[in-house]
Amino acid sequence: MCHVSVGHVARLLEASGTPTVIIAVEAFRDRLEAMRPPRLLTTPQWMGRPLGRPGDVGTQRKVLEKALELLESVT
Amino acid sequence: MGEESGGERPESFRDFKDSFFYGSRTDLNFKFLEHLTVEEASAFFRDLLAALAGAYDTGRWQRVLEFVRRAQGVAYAGAGRWRYEDRPRAALARPLNEATIALITSTGHFVEDRDPAPLGADGMTQEEAVRRIRDFLAAEPTLSEIPVDAPASRLRVRHPGYDIQGVRADRNVAFPVDRLWELADDGRIGGVHPTAWSFVGACAQLPLRNRTGPAWVRRWKEESFDAAVLVPV
Repeated sequence: MCHVSVGHVARLLEASGTPTVIIAVEAFRDRLEAMRPPRLLTTPQWMGRPLGRPGDVGTQRKVLEKALELLESVT
Repeated sequence: MGEESGGERPESFRDFKDSFFYGSRTDLNFKFLEHLTVEEASAFFRDLLAALAGAYDTGRWQRVLEFVRRAQGVAYAGAGRWRYEDRPRAALARPLNEATIALITSTGHFVEDRDPAPLGADGMTQEEAVRRIRDFLAAEPTLSEIPVDAPASRLRVRHPGYDIQGVRADRNVAFPVDRLWELADDGRIGGVHPTAWSFVGACAQLPLRNRTGPAWVRRWKEESFDAAVLVPV
């Protein structure tokens, strides 16, 4: 349900004029896409660790950078 | 729901696989087994054991982890109940390297002396939260404000829906505030909004969509951030 909650928050924020990007594990891709969030980045991680494993700074950073680039790519 | 059958009826394989989902064997990493058919779950255990044996011989343990990850994907495949046709979309008002970014997560984080006391319960433990998953799913969520400069040692997390061990070991796996700071220091983003927000995403969806969420958004409009990174778990 967590992913659905964030889908709803993203839709509300976008409708109010604030751009968003969601970072979620791939397992939630279908369910999040069905909610038509504006920008979604999915990652090949276990549930509960969407940015990467504990201590994996490099992966976490790459994921975040990629997500932020989505913010910029859509105008 | 996987409760012990008390000896009158032998536990079936279905009972067994479902017991990982808030039953006698609750495991939030493997609760997805409840979403698999008996055939799928049977294949999961068979192939998991084969993958373990293979990893012993080859040393490729990553394949075992990937196998479990893919099974999680099978369990949650499909559109689910919440579907929308329109796609609201706002544009970033300034370049990313000038933009202030806010972090909002459904991870259930809060600062140690600001426990949101969900369901009216003071000092709720993680174990109690898991036991009360149904109560969480029927309740409106509470938003926790988290100063982004709060040290990790003051951050707490409690959530009935996912395994919090990873995020306890390193908050950045789902609450990537340290990574945001680094990107600000490197000039990739303009700045990090001084407050982050978190709530327990396992909550009642209609009240969230129709009442709580709109109230949060009105509050956020008073804040000066240009965009938000949202992280569900």
